[in-house]
Amino acid sequence: MTHTATGHDAHDAPAAPPPRGFRRLTAAGWIRAAWMAPLFFALIAGLVCLLRWHAGWDPVWDWMPITVTAFLTALPIGFLAGIGTFDYWVYYALGHPTRPEDHSDHGARSWRDYFRVNTDHKVIGVQYLCTTFFFFVIGGLLAMLVRAELAKPGLQVTDAQGYNGFFTVHATLMIFLFVIPAFAGLANYVVPLMLGAPDMAFPRLNALSYWLLPIAGVMFIAAFFVPGGGPNSGWTCYAPLCEHNTFGNIFFNMGVQWAGASSIMTALNFLVTIITMRAPGMTFWRMPLLVWANFTTSLLVVLATPFIAGSQFFVMFDRVMGMNFFDVHDGGYVLGYQHIFWFYSHPAVYIMMLPGFGIISEVIAVMSRKPIFGYRLMALSLLAILVLGFSVWAHHMFVSGMAPYLRVPMMITTLLIAVPTGIKVFSWLATLWEGRIHFTTPMLWALGFVSMFVIGGLSGVYLGAVPIDIHTSDTYFIVAHIHYVLFGGAFFTIMAGVYYWFPKMTGRMYSERLGRLHFWTTFVSFNATFFPMHLIGTQGMPRRVSDYDPKFADWNLFISISSFVLGASILIFFYNMIHSWRYGPPAPGNPWRALTLEWQVTSPPPVFNFDEIPQVVGNPYEYGVPGARHALLDGARKHELEEVER
Amino acid sequence: MRRGAVWQLLLFTVIAAAIAAVMALYPAWLPPTASEQADRIGDVFWFATIICAGIFSIVAGVLIYSLVKFRAPRDDDFETDGAPIHGHTGLEIVWTAVPFALVTAIAVFSAIVLGKNDKVGDNPLRIDVTSQQFAWSFKYPQQQNLATTVLRLPLGRTVRFRFTALDVLHSFWVPEFSQKQDTVPGIDTFLTVTPNKVGTFPIVCTELCGLGHALMRSTVIVMQPQAWRQWVKSSTQAVSGGGAAAGKAVFTEQGCSACHTFEPARASGTVGPDLDKLPEFAQRAGQPLEEFVRNSIVEPNAYVEKGFPPNVMPKTFASLPEPQLKALVDFLAKGAK
Repeated sequence: MTHTATGHDAHDAPAAPPPRGFRRLTAAGWIRAAWMAPLFFALIAGLVCLLRWHAGWDPVWDWMPITVTAFLTALPIGFLAGIGTFDYWVYYALGHPTRPEDHSDHGARSWRDYFRVNTDHKVIGVQYLCTTFFFFVIGGLLAMLVRAELAKPGLQVTDAQGYNGFFTVHATLMIFLFVIPAFAGLANYVVPLMLGAPDMAFPRLNALSYWLLPIAGVMFIAAFFVPGGGPNSGWTCYAPLCEHNTFGNIFFNMGVQWAGASSIMTALNFLVTIITMRAPGMTFWRMPLLVWANFTTSLLVVLATPFIAGSQFFVMFDRVMGMNFFDVHDGGYVLGYQHIFWFYSHPAVYIMMLPGFGIISEVIAVMSRKPIFGYRLMALSLLAILVLGFSVWAHHMFVSGMAPYLRVPMMITTLLIAVPTGIKVFSWLATLWEGRIHFTTPMLWALGFVSMFVIGGLSGVYLGAVPIDIHTSDTYFIVAHIHYVLFGGAFFTIMAGVYYWFPKMTGRMYSERLGRLHFWTTFVSFNATFFPMHLIGTQGMPRRVSDYDPKFADWNLFISISSFVLGASILIFFYNMIHSWRYGPPAPGNPWRALTLEWQVTSPPPVFNFDEIPQVVGNPYEYGVPGARHALLDGARKHELEEVER
Repeated sequence: MRRGAVWQLLLFTVIAAAIAAVMALYPAWLPPTASEQADRIGDVFWFATIICAGIFSIVAGVLIYSLVKFRAPRDDDFETDGAPIHGHTGLEIVWTAVPFALVTAIAVFSAIVLGKNDKVGDNPLRIDVTSQQFAWSFKYPQQQNLATTVLRLPLGRTVRFRFTALDVLHSFWVPEFSQKQDTVPGIDTFLTVTPNKVGTFPIVCTELCGLGHALMRSTVIVMQPQAWRQWVKSSTQAVSGGGAAAGKAVFTEQGCSACHTFEPARASGTVGPDLDKLPEFAQRAGQPLEEFVRNSIVEPNAYVEKGFPPNVMPKTFASLPEPQLKALVDFLAKGAK
């Protein structure tokens, strides 16, 4: 939390006085959101009814169009307008005098400020992280329900509809509400600091990107409570199944739009920030690898995300408006959906992985006290993954019935991605070599990531080879692979990042003992849960089934028990975080003696990060190089510049 | 590097390789193969396994060695730094070039196997497969359109499947054949399998197709060519011959006994209604027995007996050729009296 108590970051502007009387209803905030959201709903629902009545359609009140337009579109916009994300732009657009920027919505003075529209990238970063962990818990509980059902053959816990809903919403929340935005949250906090910038390029857009996110999350969960049950077509929502399935699938289609819009806005913000707001001397080849990683990720997001938005609109239009994108009886083309979907969703795998690569590079360099091995090749391999990532989507479709000639070229590009990925793993290993390795909690997660990601990457090589993929596609081997990549990969890196920057964000140290306990329980139970899935997959157990051949019963029981331990291990994390946030010992500005800029200011940093924009003079990882400096700050800057000149 | 260090590094790598080898060899990773294609896919699998186990061992060896050797002293509070090594061009070229060569090798091997596995030969057995929620049905166009729900294949002859999907995506997989193919509404898809082992194997739907996805199963029986020809002959004859034998053959072939009880066929399934009580049901439905039986096969949801959910009985049987359907209806209507 950015407290004002440290004195160092005293706010220029006092907090605006709380509104009184009638102004309480019209001032931006939760009260205004509470009446604006239903108002917007009523306006659009009324308009739909009016049009239907005028056209003589029966019934005038039809839930299908009203859900899509009024409930899933207008109501959230009303909420956003009420909470105040559009205020400045609306004043500006209407020609009203915009309120002078007094920075009163910048920085947090109390915990309440985290529940308001705030334009401080550090507050938004914390908002992102807390929100994503909230949805992570729900997604995790759904996974527990899935495993409870699979503990024994036959149906015990739920029925087929319930089961399909659980795994669909589990994946949806973990992907769209946890992994992608958790990285956005960490980067939001850290990237401007690393660049030596006072904030992101577009702070108001940044606030809007955040507030879109809970809307998407609430939509995915609300889908469980509509008649018929939740989305049950898998997170891939393949046509034509999802067009005929429960009404809840519309909530999925629209939720993805909100989460996707949030992603795209954040990515644009990162791109502009990274390109234009680097401190003097911060050339591209002096940027920390986390910044490089978010730069490439943002490019991927901006280029790819519109495709999933399109695919979800297509299936929804098929259902709601009777269009025929994927309805074969009227000339639709079923495989078209998969091509469009995977054109986003394969790059999305790298959207969920590259920021993690950045985090690991930071942690491994600092914790082994060594420069990153092959810094430029590390940055270039990110770009190589970015380019290759767009040419491999059809490896999800080797058995789909697409044109057979596409298979071999897609296999070659897929296997080639192993090369830049391999470069990264080998470079991390070489960074450890001859280092002074500190086994702190973030480092344990980083090392755990490297070892788990090697397994996930190698099973990816299996899947890239078409003949093996034909056997293993849509089996538990796939489930094992994606969890090694997204749990052993993305989740471990998020953990490394959260522990690594926790002192910076909160100004408190976490408990190392609990951190290590959390890591080891997770590491062991993670492997016990997901490694056997490779085996039952190749032996013949398909994925997404609520019931299975009794010959897999023993392994499934073992996996379910391990998964409950895995689920319980997260409790240690939450206890550690919450307890340390309140009672942990105060953190120094730079507990790891790291060189990157975010560690050169107080913990937590002042509201505008730097009293004076720093001057970057060298590379960010010059550990062990005598006299090397990454940047000159504040008073030291002028003095040392003179020294250098002399 | 000192000599001792090299030996230690090697030791860690060998231990990791031994663990990887045990993991690779001890569990039965692939089901016992039953087709030529599966044998070749297995070859690619083991080729990739050797390469991956090698890479894993090297990474694990270096990682563990580094963690043991380069651990910072306990009292070192981030004060001392490691060696300022920024890179090594030769090493970087090696770990770009070697993985490149290895994945290229996997790609080439895979492409060769793929080409061989898709070869149909000049005299394949053609089978049309219809998939729908939540059932498979098979038709033999070269055997007088013989239709079954349990697949029977002769040993050693290449089979060319043609798949159609009536509603949503499904996927045809026999783990022992290793071959898999999605079925797509509006598009015919194809798959080649040459069974090389006699036995009974499961057919599994692997593409999420709705609430009954987990239950969309069938069976494939690979028989000696002689026995298979015998089966084709008796099945087609039984049908064309008419009479109770024909009806009984269809009843058994279509797998009715899995769900229904029916005394004349010695069937005792309990998923669906007891067919010995057909006259009773017909009366309740208010239809003549024979018409009722036919309707219930062709359109199972038209009348659903109380206590049984709709949409469980597959609608595939509507596509039975007329002689088979007629034989089945006669058999059911007569046997129930």
